[in-house]
Amino acid sequence: MRLKKIKIGAKLYILLCFLFFYLPIAVTMFFSFNSSKSLTNFTGFSMQWYGKLISDQNILAAVYVSISIAIFSTIISTVLGTITAIGLSKSRRLLKEWLLNINNVPIMNPDIVTAISLMILFSSAGLQRGYITMLLAHIVFCTPFVITSVYPKVRSMDSNLPNAAMDLGATPYQALTKVVVPLLKPGIFAGMLLAFTMSLDDFIVSYFVTGNGVSNISILVYNMTKRINPTINALSTLLILVVALGLIAMNLWPLIKEKKKNRPSLSGKVMRKRSSRKRDKIVFWSVTATITVIAVVCAAQFSAISNKQTLRVFNGGEYMDMNLVADFEEKYDCKVVYETYDSNESMYTKLESGSTYDILVPSDYMIERLIDEKYLKKIDWSKITRKNAILSNLKDNEYDPGCKYSVPYYWGNVGIVYNKNIVDKKDLQQGWNILRNTKYKNQIYMYDSERDSFMIALKSLGYSMNTKDRGKLKEAYNWLIEQKDAMNPVYVGDDVMDNMISGSKAMAVVYSGDAAYIINENKNMDYFVPSEGTNEWADAMVLTKYCRNTDLAYKFMDFFLDSEVSKVNTRYIGYDNSVKSTFEYFRDVEYKGNSGCAPDSSNPANEVFHYQPRKTKEYISNLWTKVKSN
Amino acid sequence: MKHFKGLAYPYVVWSFVLIALPLLLIVLYSVTRGDNSLITIHFTLDNFRKIGDPVYLDVFIKSFEIGLIVTGICLVLAYPMAYIISMFDDEVQGILILIVTIPMWINTLLRTYAWISLLSDNGLVSQLLGFFGIEVPEMMYTNFAVIIGLVCDLLPFMVIPIHTSLTKMDYSLVEAAKDLGANNLQTFKKVILKLSVPGIINGVTLVFLCSISSFVVPVLLGGRQYMLIGNLIENQFISIGNWNFGSAISMLLAIAILLIMSLMRRVDTEEKGAEE
Amino acid sequence: MKNKTIIELRDISKNFGEQQVLRGINLDIYENEFLTLLGPSGCGKTTILRIIAGFEEPSNGQVLFNGENIAKLPPYKREVNTVFQKYALFPFLNVRDNVAFGLKLKGLDDDIINQRVDKMLTMVGLKGYEKRDVTRLSGGQQQRVAIARALINEPKVLLLDEPLGALDAKLRKGMQIELKKIQKEVGITFVFVTHDQEEALSMSDTIVVINDGVIQQIGSPMDIYNEPEKRFVAEFIGESNIVEGNMIRDCLVKFDGIEWECVDKGFKPNEEIEAVLRPEDMDVVDADKAKLTGKIVSKVFMGVHYEYLVETKYRKYKVHTTESYDIGKKIGLTIDPYDIQVMHIS
Repeated sequence: MRLKKIKIGAKLYILLCFLFFYLPIAVTMFFSFNSSKSLTNFTGFSMQWYGKLISDQNILAAVYVSISIAIFSTIISTVLGTITAIGLSKSRRLLKEWLLNINNVPIMNPDIVTAISLMILFSSAGLQRGYITMLLAHIVFCTPFVITSVYPKVRSMDSNLPNAAMDLGATPYQALTKVVVPLLKPGIFAGMLLAFTMSLDDFIVSYFVTGNGVSNISILVYNMTKRINPTINALSTLLILVVALGLIAMNLWPLIKEKKKNRPSLSGKVMRKRSSRKRDKIVFWSVTATITVIAVVCAAQFSAISNKQTLRVFNGGEYMDMNLVADFEEKYDCKVVYETYDSNESMYTKLESGSTYDILVPSDYMIERLIDEKYLKKIDWSKITRKNAILSNLKDNEYDPGCKYSVPYYWGNVGIVYNKNIVDKKDLQQGWNILRNTKYKNQIYMYDSERDSFMIALKSLGYSMNTKDRGKLKEAYNWLIEQKDAMNPVYVGDDVMDNMISGSKAMAVVYSGDAAYIINENKNMDYFVPSEGTNEWADAMVLTKYCRNTDLAYKFMDFFLDSEVSKVNTRYIGYDNSVKSTFEYFRDVEYKGNSGCAPDSSNPANEVFHYQPRKTKEYISNLWTKVKSN
Repeated sequence: MKHFKGLAYPYVVWSFVLIALPLLLIVLYSVTRGDNSLITIHFTLDNFRKIGDPVYLDVFIKSFEIGLIVTGICLVLAYPMAYIISMFDDEVQGILILIVTIPMWINTLLRTYAWISLLSDNGLVSQLLGFFGIEVPEMMYTNFAVIIGLVCDLLPFMVIPIHTSLTKMDYSLVEAAKDLGANNLQTFKKVILKLSVPGIINGVTLVFLCSISSFVVPVLLGGRQYMLIGNLIENQFISIGNWNFGSAISMLLAIAILLIMSLMRRVDTEEKGAEE
Repeated sequence: MKNKTIIELRDISKNFGEQQVLRGINLDIYENEFLTLLGPSGCGKTTILRIIAGFEEPSNGQVLFNGENIAKLPPYKREVNTVFQKYALFPFLNVRDNVAFGLKLKGLDDDIINQRVDKMLTMVGLKGYEKRDVTRLSGGQQQRVAIARALINEPKVLLLDEPLGALDAKLRKGMQIELKKIQKEVGITFVFVTHDQEEALSMSDTIVVINDGVIQQIGSPMDIYNEPEKRFVAEFIGESNIVEGNMIRDCLVKFDGIEWECVDKGFKPNEEIEAVLRPEDMDVVDADKAKLTGKIVSKVFMGVHYEYLVETKYRKYKVHTTESYDIGKKIGLTIDPYDIQVMHIS
């Protein structure tokens, strides 16, 4: 395809397309230099997120996992794919057809199907989920791409070439490495590149098959939603720079070399050929060097871990200050394998699928369920030296009376955070029904939680939020449908916080602790709890029956009851702590006047969630899916 | 070459254990009920019956709608792009294709996040347009945001196959067409477009597949009420914990895609047959 | 004079699935000879070559190399090298590295390798081409690289699979001479596969004619041409008129109702036979001077000679002669006794 002139309009079009491609990347880079946390308002130049990046153990670990998995899976799938493609061309027809067809499955199947199929496989096989399962899964979806890019090259290859090599004295292995592989190089290289890209970019498959605290960049970012944080922008900026510089260097290197020689070459073609050969060599050695370094680091890391005692903690996303976890590790010379989930339900699924942990941090109703299913170990309170620091009212609860199985962590309720400048104070009298006040149409964020949404509807209708009555639930469903039709609310997850801080909408249903955080960041916001009553929740640390190192687990629980530790932790999380002194400190000093802090728990209409029988839960789940996708 | 026959055997084992077996497990889960345990198996078709519920059917329909729209937009944007790129010198082409592929090296999630900053109510786009006095309707958590996010994410998958098919094309055919008196437009329509059909089919399939089963983009840009098949499956597996129903949906999705693929392939071979 | 045998094929047969491509092949290949496997495409000649090279295993039979059975020995352990049909040069290596490939595998010193590559390239006339990209060479040059690459390993036997097939006619003639010269120079056995009878006749010491997986005849070019033993050989090599008749007794054969003197012996009395009459061996004389007469029905100028079709009472004969006659002319045909080749009916 060669036309003499490319019109300026065409060039402009290409430019615009590239602009569209690179707009999000540019924005990412831009906000990595923001002085505040916001991703929408640029408040000033700062390098602080780069500093945070370097010191953030979690991010570094995720980068390590992403890159090492990408490299290992690329190498393994390239080797596996190449030898398979070579073998395939000589296999019997039946075998060939079976392999080519099954090989297409991971390519054609939606990622999510591949992901769940592998998750089911790993959990049925009882495999410990983590680095190895993730690596296996990546090889599963990378290899087909290698095969499809190498196989056509094998078929078009003159089959006499390997014969010629063997004729000249090469063993089959030598013929493979010295002749066949060089011949297939373009295909292998293309497949390799594809595999690397796929692996690096994967989220869904990794998300489903990983476990035991192993997460890659994608999973980390996904779990960060609660407090989007420009460290991740700093990270992607660095990644982009590395990729771009690497590619530019690879393309410029031969030019520089040629210039340096600076003498008229015999023939340009020959010169270019030679320099590209040299470039191949440079690429090869730099890749080898990188792999070696990573392998060494990997080995070092694993050996370091294996020598220490470990504690496996499974907690909600952004629900613990990781610097404190690092302090704990240092203090007790141990390794905390820390993993996060985005809801109690997903935690439960994870346990069901065979993942095991030492410590969990579930909510009230989930604790009740776990106790009921005999999944938890009783707490030996004599091991917890700071037991008296806990707020006494928390011990006296419905889900685990007397705290036989749980050590309270944070607590609060559900209410509405609103913009004081937009929402009329008088309208607050409407309670939950303010969410149906058409004055605020298009101005509402609902929280994507089936329990809390149904709680709102049930409370507003004057029913108990723990009702199992199908009629009442149906009424609540209608309430939510009518609200959705009338108000056009947006259902959000933890991104509600960033959205409210930037003042996107007038009102949002949130947890009290999140409200405290939002109010702290945006003084135009305030929080109220409708008088019809609300969900009074509490989260607590529990020991699973699979806990291997109970002593260390008690030390961990005890550590977070320390008044200083809990203060730092609370500053990070923003919820109401279970430690009396910390709770009072924030109520009276640091968050003084913040209505999201220290929620009033005197309303008798407030309730605590209990866990629902399977039938009821499924019924509500279906209704909720209908509400959302209506 | 016969010495290399055995090389395919490891992958035979591999593909059975890690590709075929997992799929069989999905099938097994989809036709059973119970508490995700294989000890007591109760066969049932309830899971499939449940998909018949309008709510879930709507999710399927919406996913296919979004898939079609995204594929259409990608095709319209990508074809001229691939065509223009293929007109440059070889070396420039290499660089331009590189520019198209670099974004694929940067995490999809990160790129999608950037769209949040761009599209949110006080985001850059509305600020910028607001500066010129243009009132922008809400963009985040709408179809628009999801489509933009998906198009930006999937466009390279359309550009590259089309570009490949255009560069593979024998230019003498174009010259022959001109020689036979076709003008530029006719040459394009009758020759170039025809010859790039395999690339278009590849691109369309890839983009369509990725978009109907997408999961991250709808969650982040469409909000939690935005349900595509991918989200529905995730929801069933992770939040609700109903693996059986989730498997049934997955199976149906896989079958639907298989049908589409075989349809596409038939179009492809018919095209080829027509050429011969 | 025959040298010592180097390769012996003993009762080789080969099946590809249902299809039997070789049947009962017995063949002795001698040291220092230029042996050609000749036959139409698909006759199995390349398969024989590949069995000797070790790319195929015979389904049955033995391949003896200096008396040792190598039928199951992999190609890289055999002291034979191959020049492939389309040369099979390694496109990613330059001329030097292609030629040096075998020596590098043996792990020889660079100095020695360079020396020997130099020598080889000089021999094939490609000195100064060391750094060239093999894909940019002409067909003839690629051919030479392929020969050099094989010969540098000092094989006992060089196998050549239709190596001249891809060259144009003129280059081909030149290469034929050159190949023969090279063979003399290195003094090893060449086993050459071709479907081109002229090529076979001009180059070989021994020709093996193969059809349908069976050896038809083995012999020197002269033998094969002048004394074909089977109808196929007679038809495949050169042009011929084949007629059926009877052997009256030794040295007397009868066909077309006429008794002819000949030189063949050892047939049963009155045995049914076929006689091969080469068109150039049939002499045109006046009609009254010959036992066999006919009328010229077609005339084609072939350069050196004319080709006539002469219609006689029993059949049409193809006749080559340098004299010019008109179509329709009645003529007589005579044949010298030693130009009649009598064959058993196959």
